[in-house]
Amino acid sequence: MNLSLRAQERLRLTVIYICCAIVLIWALAPIYWVAVSSISTRQELYAAPYKIWFPTQPTLDSYRTIFTTGAKFRSGGFSPTAELMSSGLRNSAIISVGSSVIVTILATGAGYVFARMNFRGKNVIFLLIMLMLPLPIWVSLIALFFLMSQLELIDTLVGLILIFVTLLLPLSVWMMTTFVRDIPEEIQDAARVDGADRWRLVYSIILPLARPGMVAVFLVAMLWSWNNFLIPLIFSRSNDSQPLTIVLTLFIGQYEVAWEDMSAAAVVTMLPPFLMALFFQRYLVRGLTMGAVK
Amino acid sequence: MKPAHEGQRKVPPQRVGEGFREGLAQVFSADNRFIFIILLPIILLIALFIYYPAVDTFQTSLTNENLRIRRPPKFVGADNYVKLVEDDEFWEVTGRSFVVVGLTLPLELVVAFSIAMLLNQRFPGRGVMRTLTILPWMLPPVVNGFLWGWLLNGEYGALNGLLYQFGLIDEYQYWLRAPETQIFWVAVVQTWTRFAFPTIILLAGLQSIPDDLYDAAKVDGANALSGVRFITFPLLLPSFGIALVVEFIAAFQIFDVIWTLTAGGSAGGAINPFTKTLMLYNYELVFRDLRVGLGAAFSYIVLAMSLAVGLIFVLRVYNQGVHDK
Repeated sequence: MNLSLRAQERLRLTVIYICCAIVLIWALAPIYWVAVSSISTRQELYAAPYKIWFPTQPTLDSYRTIFTTGAKFRSGGFSPTAELMSSGLRNSAIISVGSSVIVTILATGAGYVFARMNFRGKNVIFLLIMLMLPLPIWVSLIALFFLMSQLELIDTLVGLILIFVTLLLPLSVWMMTTFVRDIPEEIQDAARVDGADRWRLVYSIILPLARPGMVAVFLVAMLWSWNNFLIPLIFSRSNDSQPLTIVLTLFIGQYEVAWEDMSAAAVVTMLPPFLMALFFQRYLVRGLTMGAVK
Repeated sequence: MKPAHEGQRKVPPQRVGEGFREGLAQVFSADNRFIFIILLPIILLIALFIYYPAVDTFQTSLTNENLRIRRPPKFVGADNYVKLVEDDEFWEVTGRSFVVVGLTLPLELVVAFSIAMLLNQRFPGRGVMRTLTILPWMLPPVVNGFLWGWLLNGEYGALNGLLYQFGLIDEYQYWLRAPETQIFWVAVVQTWTRFAFPTIILLAGLQSIPDDLYDAAKVDGANALSGVRFITFPLLLPSFGIALVVEFIAAFQIFDVIWTLTAGGSAGGAINPFTKTLMLYNYELVFRDLRVGLGAAFSYIVLAMSLAVGLIFVLRVYNQGVHDK
């Protein structure tokens, strides 16, 4: 009896692990293949009909090519690949870090105000911010383009950061509001009795307690702005502001045959979100599902 | 303005004359200054970058603004809307978006439900499994389109290689050549990009169902399958509802994935008409053809459609939930 129970359990686990293998192939195969492509030699990569699933002579040549010598591409505005990649990396980093820092600061303040204070018009303002969440942004984007041209913010990092911060605000404010609401009220009441004004209260009491929430807001904002494609597609024109997501599509137009170099560029583009997803998934999932479940 | 701090609200009502100076003092009170300074940048950003342009776009939608033609835009009333509704391409594009949604949603929910059921089991390594399964969702969608484009490549693609090596095909196929299959693969890639979200939602739903219910059903002679049918599904209905609405919006507004998978418009070339969905068409109208007035009207029609369908979904799911109880 005992033995048969153990056998049953072993059978159950076997079935489960077979299912796991299928799911993992579905979820990871495309990622695996692009990684392999980026370190394969040309010959092995274009082997057909029998593909080489594990490169026998792994090489970093493709990475070297895109960061140093790569040719010029028409859709890349005649810039050498190396220049496109390095400016893309720089722009992506500045835009995502910049917007995330700003939005985290703004959202933390707003989160405190909405969670802990009462004032006339509070609900209306909150609603107007949240209304942006489910609606398509196209109705704003069209006129925003002409507004940004008037402000001379087209193709600038500042312009992109401002738009990203704005689009990130609803989710971030909402995350911080719920987070601050969960901080026990007694703690800050004690501080108020001690005569601390609001600024001091937020700085010395709320900030330390809200840090996990701020980290979540920051990470979600980083991921979202790094991955964004539509906004820079409309508001960027040159390597002054084009992030990696755009640079990658510039290669696609002209590279056609150089799949190994494009794979390397794709790996570089998805590496930061990939690592974030591995190490900070708890924060990210919490933030990202929250915005949708609202 | 009302006093900002709750503690101060218990002040007894003042007479009118006295109240004025009090009120003035309160408007400039420390708390109100605090609120003002904190919220001002947020309100400015949202007003300037979201609501003002939204109104402006609506006004533009009532004009014949076209940047290709040098003429001052003229007010044309609802002409753009009428023109769009009478245009065949508009209905083609709309229909195509609904095809993408119609293919993606069932595929996605089946995949998500199966994986959620799997992750709901107890087994060693479940945490790692969950982390790895969710990965595709975190990657840039524009990269996902590229990944799959390469995977499905007709000459050197990995899918061809795999199927060939297993003897399932005799020669390499051009998966992305025929228009119908293009749409199908768009749905597959969208599913791959998004399935993690409904999985998480359904998993959370599954974990909130108490085990006693299944035990009770077993005592009543129910097998595993009827347990799923009569316990899991009804109780998961709200989770399915959330997943459906969110994924509907995502698939309806699909853009990035198509851009790199099948649109072929990245080098400034024409956008492939066979996978031109609502958002790609909107982009083309405004930023390629520069028919700004028409594009503005189009964006408002899409807004109305998203709202309507979102509402229908929510109501139906809600009613169903009420009905089943």
